[in-house]
Amino acid sequence: MGDSVVHALDGVDLEIRQGDFVSITGASGSGKSTLMHLMGCLDRPTSGTLELGGELVSGLNDRQLAEVRNQKIGFVFQTFNLINRTSAMDNVLVPLMYTRKSFSREPARKALEKVGLLKRARHRPSEMSGGECQRVAIARAIVNSPSLLLADEPTGNLDSRTSEQIMQVFHQLRAEGITIVLVTHETDIAVQADRMIHMRDGKIVEDIRVDDGHREEILSQAHDTHRQRIRQPLSGGPDRPPLTIARKTGTTS
Amino acid sequence: MFHLRIIITALRGLRQNLLRSLLATIGVVIGVGAVVAAVSVLEGAQRDILTRFESLGADQVMVFNGSERRQHRVQQVQSLLPDDAREIEHENNDLVKATAAQYQGGGQIKYFERNAVAPVLGTTEAYADINSYQVVEGRFITRQDVAGSSMVCVLGHKVAGELFGELPAVDKTVKINGKSFSVVGVMEERGTLGFTEVDNQVVIPLTTAMGRMFGQRYLTMLVVQCVDPRKLPSCIERVKKTLRASHRIRAGDEDDFTVFTQEQMKQQFGQIAQIFAIVLYSIAGISIVVGAIGIMNIMLVSVTERTREIGVRIAVGARRFDILKQFLTEAGIISLLGGSLGVVCGWAMANFLSEFTQVLQTHTPRSIIYIALFMAGVVGIISGIYPAIRAARLDPVQALRYE
Repeated sequence: MGDSVVHALDGVDLEIRQGDFVSITGASGSGKSTLMHLMGCLDRPTSGTLELGGELVSGLNDRQLAEVRNQKIGFVFQTFNLINRTSAMDNVLVPLMYTRKSFSREPARKALEKVGLLKRARHRPSEMSGGECQRVAIARAIVNSPSLLLADEPTGNLDSRTSEQIMQVFHQLRAEGITIVLVTHETDIAVQADRMIHMRDGKIVEDIRVDDGHREEILSQAHDTHRQRIRQPLSGGPDRPPLTIARKTGTTS
Repeated sequence: MFHLRIIITALRGLRQNLLRSLLATIGVVIGVGAVVAAVSVLEGAQRDILTRFESLGADQVMVFNGSERRQHRVQQVQSLLPDDAREIEHENNDLVKATAAQYQGGGQIKYFERNAVAPVLGTTEAYADINSYQVVEGRFITRQDVAGSSMVCVLGHKVAGELFGELPAVDKTVKINGKSFSVVGVMEERGTLGFTEVDNQVVIPLTTAMGRMFGQRYLTMLVVQCVDPRKLPSCIERVKKTLRASHRIRAGDEDDFTVFTQEQMKQQFGQIAQIFAIVLYSIAGISIVVGAIGIMNIMLVSVTERTREIGVRIAVGARRFDILKQFLTEAGIISLLGGSLGVVCGWAMANFLSEFTQVLQTHTPRSIIYIALFMAGVVGIISGIYPAIRAARLDPVQALRYE
C-alpha cells in the first residue's frame, strides 16, 4: 500500500469568481471531496497553492486556517452534522463560540430567520425533519457571513421536494452575493448552478457555463444517458460522451 | 461569556449521558469521600485525645511502673511504692508542689438495694488540688483519712446520682465490695480527667485501698505536680534521680519506671496519628487513582463518540486548542462534581459514624474540603489531558467521515 502514490487531485487549475454558483460532479473517488476539503481549508495540498480572496491560504498555519474557516467559509454536509443534544439555536451558535468577537445571539437569530426556522429555534435536530435539519445546518454555515459556502451533497439525504426547498435557499444566498460551491451526484441539482464542473480521476474533465437555454438540453441528455445505462449497465468506458452524469451511482463521496 | 458557554456545553454533554457521567464520577466520589471521612475521623479522634491530655495539666509529671526486656519479651515491672511519693516530695520541695500516689481498682458500690459498678481510686489528699477537681458536697479525703486508713469515700458525680438521686449523700454509709464506707463528699461534674471518667469514680484513701481493700504493695501510678510548668524538665530529672536512688538502681542500668508529661504523651500520640494518617491517605490515594482511570476511560469513549462533532467544530473554525479546552473542561467538571459529591458523602459518613458508634468523635476541618476539591480538579486535568489531546489531534477530514 505505502509505496504507491495516489494523486487525489492532479493538475487541477480552477478559479472561482466571487458570487459564482458552481456545481462539481463526478463519481466516487474522482477527487471532488478532496477539492472541496482543500477549498474549505480543512486539508492542505501536498503541492500546489490555494488562494482565497487574494490571500494565499496554503501557506497559513493551523491557527490562521481556523480563523479563515470561521470567518470566510461555511460548510454544509450531506448528513447535516448537527449536534443532536442541543437546540437548533445552539447549533447555529457553534461557529460564534470560536469567533474572537464579543458573543451575541443576534447573528444566529438572523441566520435562522433567513432559512425560515426562527420559530423552531428551540427544537432539537431529532425533533425536526431532514429538510429542516439541513436548513439549520445552512444557518450555521452562514452565521458568520462567509464569502464562500461549500456544500457537500447537501441534498443527498433528502427527497426531491425537500431538495428543491434547499436549492431555493441556495439561490437566495447566491442572490445575496455569497459564492457557492456545491458537490452533488444529481444532474438536476447540478444544472441549477451557473457553472458545472465534472471531475474524473482527480482531473477536471468538463467545465461549462450554464445558461437557461442550455439547462434543458443538459437535463434531457442526462436523462437519456441514465436510460441508456439502465439498458446497458456495463457500458460507459473511456469513450463515453461528454457529460455523462450518472444519477445515484456508486456510494456517496 | 466564552468560558461560560464552554461550561454550559460541557454540562449539556454530561447531562445527555447522565448515568454514564455519574458512573464516571463514582471513583472520585469514593476517593474523595474516603479522604474526607478518614480525615474527619482522625481529626476528631486527635482532638478528643488531645483535650484529654490537656485536662491532665501542663505542670504534671506522671510516673508509671516500668517495663523491662527479658529474653526478647517486654514485661511489666512493679516498682512504685507509696513511700516513693513521700520521698520525691520531701527531697525536692523546691521544685515539687505536691504528689498524688494512686492505686486503681474496681468495685461494686451498694446503697441498700441500689448499686453501681465503678472504678475505685485510692489516692492522697493532694489529688483534688493537683487536678483542680472540686467537691460540691461535703469534703475531699484528708491527710488524717490517709494516715488512719479511714473507711471513708468520696463519690463521683454520676455514682452519687445513681445511688442517691437528688438526696444528700454525705454521712450515708455505702458498701464497696462488701465493706462499709462512710460517704464524706461528692465531687463536681467533670466528665473525664485524662483517660478516666472521673464522674463514674469513687475515691478512697490510698492506704485504705492498698491495705484493707485490695491488699496491694505497688502503686498504679504517681502524679507529681511541679511548682512551675517551665521548670518541668528539671523537675523530671529530679524525680528520676530520687526514684533511681530509692529503687537502688545502679548507674548504667535502665529505669524501672516510666516518666511521662502531657507534652510527651501528645508527641507520642502525634506519631501514632501520623502513621494512621499515612495509611489512610494511601488507601484514599489509591481510590482516587482508580477514579482518575474511570474518568479517562469515559472521556476516551466520549471523544470517540463525538468524533464527527469534533470534525464539525474544527470545520466551523475551532482551533485545536479550543477542542482541547472543551474536553479538559468536561473532565474537570466531572471530576469536580465527583469531588463535591465526595465531600458531602465523606462528611455524611463521618457524621453517621460518630452518631452510630457514640464514642467516635469526628471533625471535618474546612481545609480538607478545599484540599479534596483541589485534588479532584487535578485528577480531572490529569485524566482529561490525554483524551483531550486525542480529540484535538483529530484530522477534520477523517473526523467528518467517521461513522
